[in-house]
Amino acid sequence: MFTTRRGLLIGAAVLAAAGCTEQAQIITSDADLTAALRTARSLARGAEALGYNEIAEDHRTHAATLERLLRPSTIEDEEAEAPADAEALAAAEAAGSAEAAESSMTTLSDYAVLFGEIAASRAAHAAVIA
Amino acid sequence: MSAVDAGLAAEYAAIFAYSAAAVRLDGDPRTLAEALESEHRSRRDTLLDHYAATGTDAPAPAPGYDVGVIADAAAAQELLTGVELNVTATWRAGVAATDPVERRLCLDMYAASAVSLARWRLAIGQAVADPWPGRPE
Repeated sequence: MFTTRRGLLIGAAVLAAAGCTEQAQIITSDADLTAALRTARSLARGAEALGYNEIAEDHRTHAATLERLLRPSTIEDEEAEAPADAEALAAAEAAGSAEAAESSMTTLSDYAVLFGEIAASRAAHAAVIA
Repeated sequence: MSAVDAGLAAEYAAIFAYSAAAVRLDGDPRTLAEALESEHRSRRDTLLDHYAATGTDAPAPAPGYDVGVIADAAAAQELLTGVELNVTATWRAGVAATDPVERRLCLDMYAASAVSLARWRLAIGQAVADPWPGRPE
């Protein structure tokens, strides 16, 4: 029924106006945004641990944007093993790029370009780290 | 003009600019410029294959492109940085395409162009980190 986040919010407002406030609650967060956020946090920690501070800052910028889009939901951190070296970090960046590219192709939200930007940024990181 | 048309036009312009500017460069930037020109040619060929596969006519390149005066290596570096930014911004815009085949193609080209932009910036001593490659400021 609601194929975009905007459509969902407009639908929620309509339902609320009709007195159907319980049905209008948004109870699930966007799975693609959540996955991208967890990967961004993990890559930020990994890049920082290996001294790639500017790249870590890119990931923190992604994370801040994703957190803003997911509000009012809050996503807990997940423990993940940090990459052992630059090669492992480059591989993690490439995997994160593929994940975001897939989200760009399959998302039902309005965020195809956002996921594409994150995929492109991670691909660039992988190339310069390798 | 479709997103792929726009991307192909940007790739044509990039090939022209590299052909004109690479001779002004030396050392690592020259080596990379030649490699990137080859990559732009490969992307152009992939796009032409896409047009052939879909039975549509590909836009032709312009007879020439205004690249200004390339007096020295600094001018060549500035021109090629602008070219890579333009190509990346063009493919980024294409990711909004609603057709899935077109979106996939633009997505692949966008990632490849972001990689080229980062490698070029690294070669000329600029910061490579960029959370939103090609996003208009």
